[in-house]
Amino acid sequence: MTAFDPNRIRRIILDMAYSGATVHIGCAFSIVEVLAVLYRNHLRLDLADYRSPKRDYMVLSKGHGIMAQYACLHELGWLTQADIKNYFKDGTRLKGLADVHVPGVEATAGSLGHGLSVAAGMALAAKLNKTDQACYVLIGDGELNEGPIWEALLFAAHFKLDNLIVIVDKNDFQAMGSTEEVMGLGDVEAKFAAFGFDAVTLDGHHEAALDAGFHAMRVKRNGRPKAIVANTVKGKGVSFMEHNNAWHYTRLSAETYRAAVSELEAHR
Amino acid sequence: MRAAFSDALVAAARADPRVLLLTGDHGYALFDAFRKACPRQYINCGVAEQNMVGVAAGLAKGGFRPVVYGLAAFVPVRVLEQIKVDVCYERLPVMFIGDGAGFVYSHLGSSHQSTEDIACARSLPALAVLSPADRFELTAAFRLAFALASPAYLRLGKSDRGDVHPGPVSLSVGEMLKVRGGSGKGALIATGSMVRTALEIVDGGLDADVWSVPTIKPIDLRVLGGICRQADWLVVLEEHSVIGGLGACVAEAVTSTRPVPVCRIGVEDRFSEFCGTYEYLLREHRLDAESVKRRINDFLDSVGTFSHDTGHVRSGISR
Repeated sequence: MTAFDPNRIRRIILDMAYSGATVHIGCAFSIVEVLAVLYRNHLRLDLADYRSPKRDYMVLSKGHGIMAQYACLHELGWLTQADIKNYFKDGTRLKGLADVHVPGVEATAGSLGHGLSVAAGMALAAKLNKTDQACYVLIGDGELNEGPIWEALLFAAHFKLDNLIVIVDKNDFQAMGSTEEVMGLGDVEAKFAAFGFDAVTLDGHHEAALDAGFHAMRVKRNGRPKAIVANTVKGKGVSFMEHNNAWHYTRLSAETYRAAVSELEAHR
Repeated sequence: MRAAFSDALVAAARADPRVLLLTGDHGYALFDAFRKACPRQYINCGVAEQNMVGVAAGLAKGGFRPVVYGLAAFVPVRVLEQIKVDVCYERLPVMFIGDGAGFVYSHLGSSHQSTEDIACARSLPALAVLSPADRFELTAAFRLAFALASPAYLRLGKSDRGDVHPGPVSLSVGEMLKVRGGSGKGALIATGSMVRTALEIVDGGLDADVWSVPTIKPIDLRVLGGICRQADWLVVLEEHSVIGGLGACVAEAVTSTRPVPVCRIGVEDRFSEFCGTYEYLLREHRLDAESVKRRINDFLDSVGTFSHDTGHVRSGISR
């Protein structure tokens, strides 16, 4: 069995979204491969202690993609089957956005434009503590509208946070439409480069490319923060969700749930 | 008071290498001693307060003890949501310093004046709110905030009004400090710069206890309840909006102990209109000692109209 298999992660997302009658499915689907590759090959974690002080950090700044991270944390054994099964039931601990009180969730995010600054602080702490921790932070392309993102980029470059690896989930959509319609982003990689980052653009669903990209960025301790612009597809993995921004908000019906599940099963 | 702040900061940083000072490019001369004594613990985050708070949260998660400095108009007000989500929700040991609170920046206008910071800060769960009146309270409040090892907001207002205590004070969580004793029939409850004003007024002949409130949140409801039970009237003074500040705090406490008339003297629900000195702005807002005296007398007259015991009205200030 492949660890952190994207198909299995998407199935968990679908099951959570269906049983919890929740939204943000497309937002979780676009980041599945990014998280799968990070958790499978790159994040140095202590399975016995999710608070281990020497761990690598994985900050999900686009907190509304949290179901994809829940699936990974479940695979790590930090979340239980009951957590997944009872998603959104009264009195349960897994919320619809990233919450720092959940094991393995490093920052409270979903109010956008927070996680990158917190991650920069964690990366600076690792520098001051002289550890070799890497700090990965996943932000959305819509999230780039937020002013604090650009404050944090200046900060990361100025303080030479070469242990900070920013991944942009560039799925070209945000809540109310395409990023170009709502707030044009221009050349994202060039913007990061202009802010002093080592930046590269990758196919965010190509696991081998992500693997190589994460490795190259991690080992390069050259005084410059890192950025990976991951070109992704919102709703990736289920044909009728792909590139369809309605799946930012749409809840699954019995019919769409069955159709989505059968597509995933066909691709297993 | 500013020298006391610098001393407290340097002492904390020297004693504990985890202490980091973060500033949003403010505090030029204030941090000379700190930068000389602990240069590696000084981080200028640039003119970017939102990021600064997030960075402080990340540093605290990495084991550090950040002290985040800004003008009160920006820290905590501009960055309230960062303080809520990044720091308070996780109860991280981050201390926020809001300098120049009230009308200190009288000539710069309403953007730099801060009369809503207490109201904002005290509505956030887990955030302690401290408002020292003089250098002795500042030293004690800084130590207390640091010892709490949880989120704290330290409000620094007008700092050159002189001492209200004869010497160093100790301060526990929520403690109110009695700075002048009267017959107990009435009480002036003040915070920050207005404690001096309260003392001037009792020195002018008003029979009242004077309490300084350096820890607005949490506040010792037992002591406050005791004052409510003993006094026939309370006057609260603050260089802050009457909405949500210490006056509101006391009024809320009164409703759950013993009903007693409370006069809230602070900034009415308005912005400053004109430019001028600090003293000018106090007059504009009727917070100078003369105006406050008149307002207290008016209040005592009105209390007399419905008080069961009108005798205390006669003990008002001679006009």
